Amino acid sequence: MASFIDLHHPPGSDRRADRMVRSTSEPLWLRRLLIGIVLAFFVLFLALPLIVIFQGALEKGFGYFLHNFTDHDILHSMLVTLIVALITVPANALFGIAAAWAITRFRFRGRQLLLALIDLPLWVSPVIGGLVYVLLYGRRGYFGPWLQAHDIRIIFAMPGIVLATTFVTFPFVARSLIPLMQAQGCEEEEAALTLGASGFEILRRITLPKIRWGFFYGLILCNARAMGEFGAVSVVSAKISGKTNTMPLEIERLYNDYLFASAFTVAAALSLLSLITLLLKTIAEWQNTRQLEAGRRALLESSIDTIPSKANA
Amino acid sequence: MSIEITALSKSFGDFPAVNNVNLKVETGEMVAFLGPSGSGKTTLLRIIAGLEFADSGNIFFSGEDVSEKSANERKAGFVFQSYALFNHMTIFENIAFGLRVVPRNKRLSKQEIRECVLSLLDTIQLSGLENRFPVQLSGGQRQRVAFARALAVKPRVLLLDEPFGALDAKVRRELRAWLSEFHNKTQLTSLFVTHDQEEAFEVANRVVIIHNGTIQQIGYPDEVRSKPANSFIHDFLALDI
Repeated sequence: MASFIDLHHPPGSDRRADRMVRSTSEPLWLRRLLIGIVLAFFVLFLALPLIVIFQGALEKGFGYFLHNFTDHDILHSMLVTLIVALITVPANALFGIAAAWAITRFRFRGRQLLLALIDLPLWVSPVIGGLVYVLLYGRRGYFGPWLQAHDIRIIFAMPGIVLATTFVTFPFVARSLIPLMQAQGCEEEEAALTLGASGFEILRRITLPKIRWGFFYGLILCNARAMGEFGAVSVVSAKISGKTNTMPLEIERLYNDYLFASAFTVAAALSLLSLITLLLKTIAEWQNTRQLEAGRRALLESSIDTIPSKANA
Repeated sequence: MSIEITALSKSFGDFPAVNNVNLKVETGEMVAFLGPSGSGKTTLLRIIAGLEFADSGNIFFSGEDVSEKSANERKAGFVFQSYALFNHMTIFENIAFGLRVVPRNKRLSKQEIRECVLSLLDTIQLSGLENRFPVQLSGGQRQRVAFARALAVKPRVLLLDEPFGALDAKVRRELRAWLSEFHNKTQLTSLFVTHDQEEAFEVANRVVIIHNGTIQQIGYPDEVRSKPANSFIHDFLALDI
């Protein structure tokens, strides 16, 4: 970047640019104050809690920390969380692609309504999300009698947890794809169509490769939320440790039972998963920009080192 | 292959984009749709390709009614103004695309696809660039790749939507000459949309002047130039000369 600027600014112009920055910026004391506030906020609200979690987990020594992972209930809660994520993430991936496709490619009645509905889980409290499913599938709920007659249990069991988690993670994939697909337009898809490709071939060979990093980003967000969801799940889960407790619910149970070290251990495990997610997210973003940059660089190179044109023939 | 269009109409909301168009294009002809922007010429071309569907009227390819057929069944070769190349694929894969999406039992072998793509690269004079990506090519080169990609599936008709619109004047002239030569050699029925009358008169056998979604005049270039059918055409042609 620096060399690029140098081409346009002969030596000596730096000082003028510097002066310009200074003339439009705030006084030094104010700058320091603002940066200080941001740093203090960051340490107090983000970094410190993370450190405390790991400190709490290791309070009784590393042996005890590892010992927690042999506890049946804790292991089971991890299993439940894993299963929930394994079901909801693919389900929302499918739904997200379908919704983004429908919204960006077709103009239909109710399109705006669908767009608003996708956002609904972001606007309402997750607790309401859970409650709705109790009202629909609970014992006294709308479908309750029918479900009971057929001996199907949804609320206070795995299906309820999966449903509630699907509800709260609904928007993530669709939301990260819609702006991307809108920006890319559909000319490449149209070209593929005129070349004889079927809808499925277009999706597989054109659309998915074009949106893959945005899609990956959406999946990661969706996964993070699926693993960490508390509110909606706590309504529909019976909170039976070793049966229907997810990791966040298990943390609450352990904490309420004064098993602080264990609670922090599960919390640390969950945080670790989040940190891995964050790392993946960063890689996804980095890859995305790298791909764009590579494209731009290639364009620049080809315009400098022009391939001899043989079009004159 | 001949193309026949009868009583074709299409509106977007209240706006009539194409209004009762009748046209017959004979096999091997190169016909230009000429008109100002917003005249409906691109919409007409997209309806012929199957990328849009008409509200009423019919389209016949060699007498066969294709009005209800989707674009992938019609297989009319289409070249876009903005190339619409697949940016995540190499030039080779771009050209091979139409050959690869054919059902397995009708698909050419890998070797045959390779030979076909390499010979097309030779036709468009871009041999040796098959491993590049579209962003690594100039505009003129990209548009030639788009041509090759459309030709790979052996279309019965070639539809070109402002094919040289995004190129600079010099490249445009070169490609225009190349297209004329290509058409003379292959006699592939072709329709192309343009707002550039010089381009239309130089390349096309016949010119269709379109305005407000209706055909104003159909004729040979000399005929249209010397005897404009109405005052609109007279004024439109006078703009550039």
